[in-house]
Amino acid sequence: MAEPDAPRPVERKFPVRAMGDVLIVRKRAQELAIQFGLGGRRATELAIAVSELATNIVKYGIQGEVVVILDSEAGARGGIRVVARDEGPPIRNLEVALQDGCDDTGPIDPTLVLRRGGLGTGLGAVLRFADLFEYQQGETGKAITVTFFR
Amino acid sequence: MPKKTPQDGPEGVEFTRNRLEVLIQALAYAAIDDFDYCMSLMRGDAEGDSFARLEMEFTDFLGKLVGAKTALNEALVRAEESNRELEAKLETIERQQAAIRELSTPIIEVWAGVLCLPVVGIVDSQRSAEMTETLLETIVAKQARTAIVDITGIEAMDTKTADHFIKMAKAVRLLGADCILSGINPSIAQTLTHIGVDLTGIRTLRNLRDALQFFLREQAASHLVKLQPLVESAQA
Repeated sequence: MAEPDAPRPVERKFPVRAMGDVLIVRKRAQELAIQFGLGGRRATELAIAVSELATNIVKYGIQGEVVVILDSEAGARGGIRVVARDEGPPIRNLEVALQDGCDDTGPIDPTLVLRRGGLGTGLGAVLRFADLFEYQQGETGKAITVTFFR
Repeated sequence: MPKKTPQDGPEGVEFTRNRLEVLIQALAYAAIDDFDYCMSLMRGDAEGDSFARLEMEFTDFLGKLVGAKTALNEALVRAEESNRELEAKLETIERQQAAIRELSTPIIEVWAGVLCLPVVGIVDSQRSAEMTETLLETIVAKQARTAIVDITGIEAMDTKTADHFIKMAKAVRLLGADCILSGINPSIAQTLTHIGVDLTGIRTLRNLRDALQFFLREQAASHLVKLQPLVESAQA
């Protein structure tokens, strides 16, 4: 008997243009993660990562989207991939941008933290929470893909 | 009665003139948008002559005009309706956005000089920065002596965000107020100890109720201290 076809990954796309969209996408991502079988804490961590990525789209991307993919084939027990894609300029220096208290040019002046509305720890948090972190950039924009295994 | 035609002498001319006058009158009413009256004027018996053809053409044209006008009116009503709907939706969105902004950092003055910041939902780096700013500003504005930050509703937090919360508590002390952290759950407790943050001078209590009780006891104690010298001086 032939192997039954693997279920196709479920894909949900969320456009991200304003802070209101960030609230929607992180809430939906959290709900999807819980439905998919992630624990409450892990689902909250995923929601925080989604929130950081989507906030960066609003801050630095011209326009973008967050795609949440529920893939039962990922890893040993399945996983959730989150792709944050935007048409903004590429990250100038990813290694620096991933450091806490930095944007992609270097450390953020503490007196500017409030005016910037951020601590510069967003990407660091994403990196800490996610099991896999990938960055791609092309002519039309950039994408960060993170995976949370079940 | 024989059919009258425009060629039928003075009587016929008179008849045609009447019809012409009716036509002109109808046109006048059509011009001021009174199509109903206009149509009622034109509802004469069709005559078989060439003038009747003009009348028929006119009636036909009038019918088309009425149809077009009705369609236009309907479209206008629809456009107005959808415009109203859009405006209502926009208003809802604006209201919701305001609510969301409010909800993200609701600071409640639970007692004179006591602020409570209940934190619920998802806390990311941006929100923790916003919270710090709002809390510090409110402490100054309301001249608060105590701030209770309740994080019962928080399931997980990034280590850097947790670190920032502790920094926020320290900043509150710099302003001359006390900061009580309440409702820390096991995973966040682990996060905090994991990053080895210095917790001296930061009071943490199990829940909001304990935090409020603690404040009331402190308040009562300080009142006793204040009353004591008065009592002593009265006895002296």
